[in-house]
Amino acid sequence: MSYIDVVDKVDVPKPPKYYTPPGFETVMGVPVAYRREGAGEATVLLHGAGFTRMWIPFYAMMAEQVDFIAPESPGFGETPLPGWLRSFDDLTILYDQLFDQLGLERIHLVGFSMGGWAAAEFAAFYPRRLKSLTLITPVGLRLPDEPGVDIFQLAPAELMDRLFKDKDVMMQWLPDPENFDEGIHLYSEFSAAARLMWAPRYNLALERRLKRLACPALVVGAEEDRLVPNAMSDKYAEVLPAARLVRLAGTGHEPLLERPQELARLITDFVQEAAK
Amino acid sequence: MNKLRFYAFHLMPYPYFPPAEEIQSSWVSLPNSHYDPHRGRVLYNEYIDQLVAAESYGYDGVGVNEHHANFYGTMPSPNIIAAMLVQRTKHIPIGVIGNAIPLHGNPLRVAEEIAMLDVISGGRIISGFVRGIGCEYFNNPVPPADSTERFAEAHDLIIKAWTDDGPFTWQGDHFYIPNVNIIPRPIQQPHPPIWIPGQGSLETLQFIARHRYTYMMVFSPLWFTKMAFDGLREECARLGYEADKNMFNACVPTYVAETDAQAHREAKAHLSWVFNTGLKIPDQFFFPPGYMSTKSFRNFMGQLMKGKVKPQAQLSYDELLADRYIIVGSPETVKNQLGEYVETVGAGGMIGAGSPFGPMPNWMVMKNMQMYAEEVIPEFREADGLPDYMRTAANSPRSHAELAARYGRPPEAARSRVTGGDQLIDHRLAHVAEVIDPTLDGREAERPASAG
Repeated sequence: MSYIDVVDKVDVPKPPKYYTPPGFETVMGVPVAYRREGAGEATVLLHGAGFTRMWIPFYAMMAEQVDFIAPESPGFGETPLPGWLRSFDDLTILYDQLFDQLGLERIHLVGFSMGGWAAAEFAAFYPRRLKSLTLITPVGLRLPDEPGVDIFQLAPAELMDRLFKDKDVMMQWLPDPENFDEGIHLYSEFSAAARLMWAPRYNLALERRLKRLACPALVVGAEEDRLVPNAMSDKYAEVLPAARLVRLAGTGHEPLLERPQELARLITDFVQEAAK
Repeated sequence: MNKLRFYAFHLMPYPYFPPAEEIQSSWVSLPNSHYDPHRGRVLYNEYIDQLVAAESYGYDGVGVNEHHANFYGTMPSPNIIAAMLVQRTKHIPIGVIGNAIPLHGNPLRVAEEIAMLDVISGGRIISGFVRGIGCEYFNNPVPPADSTERFAEAHDLIIKAWTDDGPFTWQGDHFYIPNVNIIPRPIQQPHPPIWIPGQGSLETLQFIARHRYTYMMVFSPLWFTKMAFDGLREECARLGYEADKNMFNACVPTYVAETDAQAHREAKAHLSWVFNTGLKIPDQFFFPPGYMSTKSFRNFMGQLMKGKVKPQAQLSYDELLADRYIIVGSPETVKNQLGEYVETVGAGGMIGAGSPFGPMPNWMVMKNMQMYAEEVIPEFREADGLPDYMRTAANSPRSHAELAARYGRPPEAARSRVTGGDQLIDHRLAHVAEVIDPTLDGREAERPASAG
């Protein structure tokens, strides 16, 4: 076509800091990128809608205590998005298969934000596969009186502002506005998020289904969360039969980046306890 | 055939809200508390009058379209406006350009409504299909990432519903309809003409070329419209046919007045408003995630970065004129620039030429339309001055007599058995006592030969 510059393939850019090359496991035709380090209790983290492709300090801290596995969800990081992946159901089955292929039997599952919703869905379908469930500032339940902010309506700067309480930390994680390819990649990741979460922004069935989860659960809220109302973590703690609710003081929606040490300590202690 | 067709197009804006500098956007987030239904009533009715007037002024057609949750175009249901136009006009084609077909839970609703309009209007409907702009999706549970696929499937379903005999079952990826059997069917066969408004993406051009539909460029600079039209011509050639000029419609708001200076004086603020205020849309509303494929998004943003395309809200009036987003001037200027434009891009139709725009007062809209009709349109017409549609037979009989003469009686007369009776009664005769009861007056009813 003569009239417009067309690229056939969009490459995934590598972030300048903390990038590490992932391993790949082909699951249902999808090469799923994942990073894994450490030894001990197998602990899988399902990420939120961003900050992919990196072995961030929080991951390193987790890997000091546990066998830490961080897969990248289809459409995020270096995992491509297959046309058939349309829902958390599809994602759940893909993860179940991935865990089989990685030789993981029973795991501690940790989910952050959107990944919290994904983890809750997984727990609802495969409760016996989990030794524990940790949800960090998760989304996915209906809060009738507090629908919360529509993340898809936020300009990038406003989104970053809402993600972080600590603006010094925020400055370290701002994407470089001059980095064209990174901007395109973020659109692509948000597209994958929107495929799962555009409407509705909750799964009512979770409130029923999670009732059969027998393993210990930890719900981590953030007092200064300006993206997801605290009522969300309250509600998860209510719905989950054996849940403990911890609310981190003085931090925003991104405790992985704002409070890596405190959070890693909290979760690894919980994992060791649950493993007993 | 005329050199150029002129379509009066309306967005039906609601302009009574704070200036562009004071709002984030005139779409999605601008509170609907700014909308006063009493003022809305006056505006709607003026706007409808303006489109109705286009018929007596001599335009080739009128057009309306669908937008949601915004003040730039307040027609969430363009078919409703089209229904009013059908009733208030006699011969002029009416374009719904278009319905945002991926947004609807059941696309058959669009097939049904367009068929209704086509039947009632006697086959005067042009049916446009769009995905809706990105903003539309915030008003809707349909994920923007599904938009392209749903558009394609809704299109296939609507066309099949219009063209294939029902009932049939639709088993799609996005829609399942156990029994498709739309009633009414449209008058125009195999279906009303399809127009596809677009922004020049390769996918859209290929789709149009494949189906031999009519393309309608949205507001764009001349060079971009030309690139898209050339692209479409290429795609048609690739498929082995030469594109007819009437496949190409440009969209160029045009304003004419007594002199160039007078035209600018009258139009400047209103035309600028369309772009700078009405289209004040932040990127995150314009491109909700998944609305464009990553590839298309990358290509589009690449053009923006290179400064080849500027966001419409940032275009100055002089840039709008220089890039031919708009044409403004005396009749001579407008005729010359239009002639040049059409020559350059190869268009058969102009949308929005001599049309209402922005917060322009009603009297000014009418002044423009009348002067446009008298001073500009004739330049592009045959000597008889008729719009092309008046040179061909109407798509449907215009009177009972014509219907009876051309089509005769219905193949199946309405017949039924009246309770207690044992024979079929023809309803045309059902009020005739002897037909219902042959024993009446003790003698056999006279039965007209034609009664079944």
